[in-house]
Amino acid sequence: MSRIMIIEDDEVLRGELSRLLDDQGHETAAVTDFSRAAEQMRSSGADLVLLDINLPGVNGEALLQEFRRTSDAPVIMLTSRTSELDEVLSMSYGADDYITKPYNPTILLLRISAVLKRSQKLRVTASYRGLRVDPAKGILADGARELVLTKNEMLIFQILLDNLGRIVTRDELITALWDSNEFISDNALSVNVSRLRSKLSDFGCADAIETRKKQGYILL
Amino acid sequence: MRMRDILRDRLPAALITFGAWLLIAAFMGAFHTGSALIAAVTCVYFISALSRFLWDVLRRKRFYDALAEGSGQLDRKYLISEVVEEPDFLEGRLTCEALREAGRSMYEDVAALSRESKAFREFIEMWVHEIKLPVAALQLMCHNDDNVRYAEQLRRIDDYIETVLYYARSGSDGKDYIIKETPLDRVFADTAVRHRAELQLRGVEIKTDGLGTAVMSDSKWLGYILGQLMGNSLKYLSPDREPEICVRAEVLPDRTLLHFRDNGVGIPAGDLPYIFDKSFTGENGRTYSGATGMGLYIVKKLCGRLGHGISADSVPGEYTEITLSFGNNDLFRPDVTKS
Repeated sequence: MSRIMIIEDDEVLRGELSRLLDDQGHETAAVTDFSRAAEQMRSSGADLVLLDINLPGVNGEALLQEFRRTSDAPVIMLTSRTSELDEVLSMSYGADDYITKPYNPTILLLRISAVLKRSQKLRVTASYRGLRVDPAKGILADGARELVLTKNEMLIFQILLDNLGRIVTRDELITALWDSNEFISDNALSVNVSRLRSKLSDFGCADAIETRKKQGYILL
Repeated sequence: MRMRDILRDRLPAALITFGAWLLIAAFMGAFHTGSALIAAVTCVYFISALSRFLWDVLRRKRFYDALAEGSGQLDRKYLISEVVEEPDFLEGRLTCEALREAGRSMYEDVAALSRESKAFREFIEMWVHEIKLPVAALQLMCHNDDNVRYAEQLRRIDDYIETVLYYARSGSDGKDYIIKETPLDRVFADTAVRHRAELQLRGVEIKTDGLGTAVMSDSKWLGYILGQLMGNSLKYLSPDREPEICVRAEVLPDRTLLHFRDNGVGIPAGDLPYIFDKSFTGENGRTYSGATGMGLYIVKKLCGRLGHGISADSVPGEYTEITLSFGNNDLFRPDVTKS
């Protein structure tokens, strides 16, 4: 759960974006007076800023440049400008990611959690039921033993862990896997999840993953 | 100017000169002029005629040769008056002035048209940015309200919007792209995720090989190109077998090839040479709905602007393979020093 600031001038879009993030358990704040956007960005202390480029009276890239002078909090540019030039500019000004509208909501959430994880990496090490999670090596370890997961199993476990205690739909899981260049089918997902479940229970984590009918999976 | 053409052109003048000499000779004969005088007059007469001819031809020849050579070399021929030297004879100066006038008026027309087309393109870009906002809002609403039924239609709308944008981009000669190192796996994953609903609905299996490499391209443009190829594969699936799309990168010393292959209905050999032509739909277009003949045309133009090669290969009833070719060199990389 993080505090996310939304700087977007389209009212409907702003509302839906807040809804999407609230549903994920984030706390959102939105800027509505764009003449004071820079000040609000500075004082909000948000964990992440979602920033549009075309704003009334002010340019998002300029806002970003100004923000970077005082803060290194992650910023994701969220824009309908689909030119590589804007992306290169934004990244050079210190944006952490650049996403063009319309975006796939699942992908947006993935990118947000990736950026948040990167910025908090030094503070938080991932763990689950006392097990250390090492995504790079694809292992769970409890000090004495190691559980080796395949790339797909690790990806699935990671997403479930990021959403610990919350239902993750099959659709979200498949989107996340495809986004990591693992183009698996619906059936393959079921196979992967059940293999992951039995590996976990062999390792002492019984009933870790529950299936919620017609909704998805949940890690407990 | 060839000498033969000049002589042919001057033939009437030569005949008149010769006729006049005959008359003079006849007069002098009638007045019983001495033959020495006749010879002298004849000499003076023909020498003067010949030198006038030579002087006239040479100074003209210089101007017209420069004109012909200049217009042969220029790629914008209407600028010819800017490159020829001002001639020293009257007709040449008049010609030059007329050329200059014509060039100026042409240039003004061209500039007006290109301003107009630039303004139109900017309007399209702006319009695309605007229409993407409600599309984005609707897409979020679909997700937030758990209504997946509309999402696919929104994707279709967005595809059509992109086509307008890239059609506008493909035609202009403005610098609206950036060539930089672009990871193929990232671009392809974005494309696949975008078409995921339809791919999964049709049970298309996706295989990739070697996409861990990067090519020099513009990721946005390349994403559009791959999206078009995928859209085509989805449009022409074969009912006889399990559909499959196979994307493979092949790194050669001087270039990287990206093979985009599907096992769909294929393209008849007679249609293959024309698939990149504007408005060409061919046999598949007549059999299946939704062909506009614009997709591959735009793709080819975008490739042309980015400097990528594109070619197609197919066996009807077996496969279609589109191959993109990217140049490999380090010139674009600022950190590599040229030796």
